[in-house]
Amino acid sequence: MALTWLVIQTALYLALAPLVLGYIKKAKAYLQGRRGPDIRQPYRDLVKLWHKETVTSRTASWITRAAPLILFATTLAAAVLLPTISLASAVYLRYGDILTVIYLLATGSFFLALAGLDAGSAFGGMGSSRESLLAALLEPGILLALSVPVLTAGSTSIRRLVGASLSPAVLLLPAHLLALGAVFLAAIAETGRIPVDNPDTHLELTMIHEGMFLEYTGRPLALLNWAVQVRQLLVLTVVANLFFPWGLALVPQPVSLGLAGAVYLGKLLLLGGGLALVESVYAKLRLFRAPGFLWAISFLGLLALVSRYLFRGAH
Amino acid sequence: MNLIRVAKAEMLGVVRGIKERGGVLFTVCGSDERLWDHGFGLYYVFSLGKGGGFQTVATMVDAADAVFPSVTSVFEAAHWDEREIQDLLGLVPLGHLDPRPLVRPDDWPEGLFPLRKDFPAGERPPLVTSREYPFTPVGGEGVFQVPVGPVHAGIIESGHFRFHAVGERIISLEARLFYNHRGVEKLAEGREVEEAMFLVERICGSCSCSHAVAYAQALEELGSLQVPPRAAALRSTYLELERLYNHLNDVGAICAGTGFSFGAVHGSRLKEEVLALNERLTGHRYLFGTIVPGGLSREPFGLEGLAGDLAALREDWGETVAVLLDNESFRERLRDTGRLSREAARRLGVVGPAARASGVDRDLRRDHPYAAYGRLEVTVPVQQGGDVEARFLIRVKEIAATFALLEELLTDLPAGGIRVPLGELPPYTPTFGYTESPRGANVHFLLTAPGNRIYRHRVRSASFPNWAAVPFAVEGNMLPDFPLINKSFELCYACLDR
Repeated sequence: MALTWLVIQTALYLALAPLVLGYIKKAKAYLQGRRGPDIRQPYRDLVKLWHKETVTSRTASWITRAAPLILFATTLAAAVLLPTISLASAVYLRYGDILTVIYLLATGSFFLALAGLDAGSAFGGMGSSRESLLAALLEPGILLALSVPVLTAGSTSIRRLVGASLSPAVLLLPAHLLALGAVFLAAIAETGRIPVDNPDTHLELTMIHEGMFLEYTGRPLALLNWAVQVRQLLVLTVVANLFFPWGLALVPQPVSLGLAGAVYLGKLLLLGGGLALVESVYAKLRLFRAPGFLWAISFLGLLALVSRYLFRGAH
Repeated sequence: MNLIRVAKAEMLGVVRGIKERGGVLFTVCGSDERLWDHGFGLYYVFSLGKGGGFQTVATMVDAADAVFPSVTSVFEAAHWDEREIQDLLGLVPLGHLDPRPLVRPDDWPEGLFPLRKDFPAGERPPLVTSREYPFTPVGGEGVFQVPVGPVHAGIIESGHFRFHAVGERIISLEARLFYNHRGVEKLAEGREVEEAMFLVERICGSCSCSHAVAYAQALEELGSLQVPPRAAALRSTYLELERLYNHLNDVGAICAGTGFSFGAVHGSRLKEEVLALNERLTGHRYLFGTIVPGGLSREPFGLEGLAGDLAALREDWGETVAVLLDNESFRERLRDTGRLSREAARRLGVVGPAARASGVDRDLRRDHPYAAYGRLEVTVPVQQGGDVEARFLIRVKEIAATFALLEELLTDLPAGGIRVPLGELPPYTPTFGYTESPRGANVHFLLTAPGNRIYRHRVRSASFPNWAAVPFAVEGNMLPDFPLINKSFELCYACLDR
């Protein structure tokens, strides 16, 4: 049974991730009064890259070759641990732990930063240095924010976390809402979006996340892009199912699974729309203002933690 | 033309005198005149400010002694002009502050100068092994180089930017930009002046009309022609439409530079509306084929309804710009970024909106009126900040002024003819024409040959002096802010190199 869920989760993430990106782009275009690219465009881009020639820098080492695989593998491994439509996956994958998820992602980021440096191009190095700076500042915010549901559940196990959040009393706690805010802001930073980074830029000097990808072509690039799309979906799933786990099928039956799928899609539509809205309304921050944004996440996380002890609620 | 001919040795003294009278460098032209004289002619044109007219100083450089005293110690703004003369004509400016090659590619053979008359147009000499370009070395702990371009990730013209930076802070920037040399000036030589208009319009896509009018005015000045009032008014109309679509584009580009997609999208949408208007009016989105020496090529197609459409556009723009001006996250991004001091702007002879954003109150439409501007009320906004925000606000204000000018022009459009014949032009006589393009002064300097043909044609577009100033605005800023600073100047690479 565990194996079945593993396969289902993996397939769901891989299939859905490009669509979520396409949807966010479409939503952005809609908000800006444009028609925008077809929602299926990210799939076509992946296929196109897959069939393109791969060119690797002469100065690149094994890191450049290994990084896309490592990023893809760690991202997928982290993704399957998070329940999408059914709690069953979390039940069967009982090693699912929120800290495992965070540090699997961090491992991927680490190798990506190495890959940015590896080819020796100026833009890759700049991208790596900026990404590392921001990642280091983002980490405390994420941990503080997640410590609220962790304390509520009394465990870092994803199964317990989801279980604890299912209680309606928890949802209305100020601590829970503050933590949710912090995690949503962290999601903006983690997915490389405005106001922290601009995913649509072609200006090398301004790039943070994209800078590390500049040396990649063909299949490795397709793999990297796909991994980043899965990662984006994963981050949205953390917000959607860790903080609002309603709709998750508690028992894997066809009807409840179908319902759970619809609810999950609905949540993604809402969150993706939120990202698109933020991106359409704000300009990108100056690079050295971005840490201020990240500190705000930490501060929000800290507030959430403090308020957990001040307002215990019915819990 | 107010021209004095002086001996080479007296040049610097005369030029100093002009500086003391408040003169500003306007254009420089070198020309191979060995055909009828003993060497090369050098022309320096200076503007004497509002109502003061122009002063041209000419000198002769002997072919046997191909050096001349650099005026950069008096007018630093001539630095790139003189380097260009050195590369293309082989005359060496003595005492130049920075005599490195400017236009010449690294693999071009030594001693071969394309603008000399004995170099045939279209000649492709065998290239030599690339020489190493001597970038100014920057030392110190933690200083690293960032080479950007000439090939970029996006669809941008080619230019190489060499940054020296400590962390993210830029210590120095050197730009090598002459990758777009098409030899327009050489190709013009020997052509009939009317035929050469096709070349002139294609120097630059985004200020084609400004170039065409400047060129036509140079010829009209030489032939002592007055274009009919209707042609003059329509020329001003077209020039203002060109300013409008450029400024709308540039405002959008500044928004794009900050990642503010709302402004970027609406900037390009509004620009497109003006382009469509241009097409309806002249049959061409970028106003090609409308200007001819002596007037206009034809009557506009659809003047009726134009005023109404412009009024609607003005309202539309008003709504967009209100959002831009109110968005603090966007405004904050522009403030204090890429400051160009007034002193640097003056010293380097910066023109157009970039100069006016740094407190230099100059506009050719008001100071040396041409076309119909003499009878119009030209408002010239000036900002003191010199940063990206000032360059953004200058454009916002100039868009408003342009809408007002267009309204004034269209309510009172003179009737009558639109073209007068050019007639026989006097040969070997220097002349020039100019316009205040959306980016500043576009100056065309001409020498004609018998039979209304071009002997020498030098184009100094607004991008020429302004590009040299960009590095000064960039120093001390952060690397990721460079594209935004660059976009706030929104200069043209093709105009620069020709």
